[in-house]
Amino acid sequence: MESLVLANIRQRPVRALVSAAGVALGVCLVMLFTGLTRGMSNDLHRRSSNIRAEIIFTRPGSNEMLSSGAQLSVRYAELLREIEGVESAVPSIRYISQGGRGFGYEQIEGVDWEPFARMNGMRLVSGRPPVGLDEVVIDETKARNNSVEAGGTLRLFGDLPYKVVGVYTPEAGPRVKMSLAAMQDAMERPDRCTWIYVKAREGVGEEELARRITSEPRMEGNKIQFTRDVFTNVEKSIPYLGVFLRTLVVLSAVVSALVVMLAMYTTITERTREIGVLKALGASRGYIVGVIEKEAAVISLLGLAAGFLVSLAAGYLIHRVYGLMFEYSLAWAATAAGIGLLGGVLGALYPAVRAANLDPVNALSYE
Amino acid sequence: MRKILEADDLEMVYQSSGGVAVNALRGVTLHVEEGEFLAIMGPSGCGKSTLLHLLGGLLTPTSGRILVDGEDMTAATDARRTDIRRRKIGFVFQRFNLFPTLTAEGNLRLAERIHAGSGGKDAPERRREVLKLLKLEDKMARKPIELSGGEQQRVALARAVVTHPAIVLADEPTGNLDTENSAIVLNMFQEMNYRFNQTIIMITHNPEAAAMCRRIVQMRDGQIVASAAPVQI
Repeated sequence: MESLVLANIRQRPVRALVSAAGVALGVCLVMLFTGLTRGMSNDLHRRSSNIRAEIIFTRPGSNEMLSSGAQLSVRYAELLREIEGVESAVPSIRYISQGGRGFGYEQIEGVDWEPFARMNGMRLVSGRPPVGLDEVVIDETKARNNSVEAGGTLRLFGDLPYKVVGVYTPEAGPRVKMSLAAMQDAMERPDRCTWIYVKAREGVGEEELARRITSEPRMEGNKIQFTRDVFTNVEKSIPYLGVFLRTLVVLSAVVSALVVMLAMYTTITERTREIGVLKALGASRGYIVGVIEKEAAVISLLGLAAGFLVSLAAGYLIHRVYGLMFEYSLAWAATAAGIGLLGGVLGALYPAVRAANLDPVNALSYE
Repeated sequence: MRKILEADDLEMVYQSSGGVAVNALRGVTLHVEEGEFLAIMGPSGCGKSTLLHLLGGLLTPTSGRILVDGEDMTAATDARRTDIRRRKIGFVFQRFNLFPTLTAEGNLRLAERIHAGSGGKDAPERRREVLKLLKLEDKMARKPIELSGGEQQRVALARAVVTHPAIVLADEPTGNLDTENSAIVLNMFQEMNYRFNQTIIMITHNPEAAAMCRRIVQMRDGQIVASAAPVQI
């Protein structure tokens, strides 16, 4: 059956495509931003969950996961090991710099490999631990994304070349690790670290161990945090990210609605005489609103399909080129679909009502 | 014969853009019987089109009453008037006014869908009968731009009658056609009137077209000044 809605869309394919592109843009914005946030958050979670230390011992004022400072003396590691119930204490410097390809950020960890690997059940799948000041080990994901193996080179701290001497698994914390001494040297912070990972002996609860540490007079002035609280998800650790995402969703809806409204407004102006004919044929206001809304809905559906396809393709390409992780959720996809469809349908409402209220005689004489 | 249309004492006053009141119709009374083929003639600006729009429920008179097949158009709300138009009236325009994006068949089906409303059924027999009568069977897959003027007007006529309206209102249906196509279209009107007992009210400036009708109504200055068989006019 030939449909007036589809026939109208076919008559103006460029306009329909531009309108659909407007809806697709909104969908892409929502999908890419939420996919990136979720992907990075889950990636961070995955890597953090492989760190088995229950406690992070650090200086007050350090910035949790976004820290690049090294204010804590490594001597505290020795003191911590003396506390009953501590199995191991490993100092670490975490350095955050701009991503190697100028996009996002990259974390590098300075930590002595052997105690850290033993603490977290990690192993090298190839090569050897980093020893020299210009040596690093990387995890398998980093090796795959950067197409680097043991024996290759990474450029860090701006453009300094570092030899990749090994590849480890499983991923835990920053993907690039060098020795603590190498990081101290690079940051010119000898005998300092960002924090100390503290692992409890079996049978000792983390709350109890934390109490023992804080009750030790020599630890006064420092800060105890539980690992589970430090490596929280990105949405919680970046202030107002949730607000930003919700604003983005509203903006996407506005973009979709405006593009569709403009297209449908132009359409009904162009088809004024046809609307007059529809009225002469006895089409009710509801019927006319329905025809225009259906057209907007079809355009929105096309936009949704295009938006999802482009989002998937863009996410894949960005991941391939920049190594950023994208994870799309059904809930956000449904939100994006709802936003695109609702934006389109609401955008068309004003032109549709205006068309339905046209005076039939004037509409029929419209040139 | 049963009266299909009763228009009594119609007055229509427009407000011009300059705020001046214009009396387009002054006490027009017109009764039409079922199956009648009637022409409305008169000089430009005499109120023919205004009368036709009032009879079709596209306008509301300033005063007076219009009954279409027993239903009062003037007392009805806009929605009710639209519903009466949907069920009882078919329009044919001088400029055909077919939907250019639809094929000839698409135009007919659109009219059928609007007529049927949400609960209506397809009526292929009626459509086939109309198409055969108007010799359009082989034109159905074409879009208006692929049809001649005469063919387009025949499609417009088919669209107007396919829903079996009580009255077909035609506003200068041959105004955009050459002599040959005018004759063809007028013959079709006559055929529809004869075969389906279709009531037709047609505005025309063409005396030959008017001569094919059973009655001619002549208007001047918003009033009916004569109403009689062609031979008497």
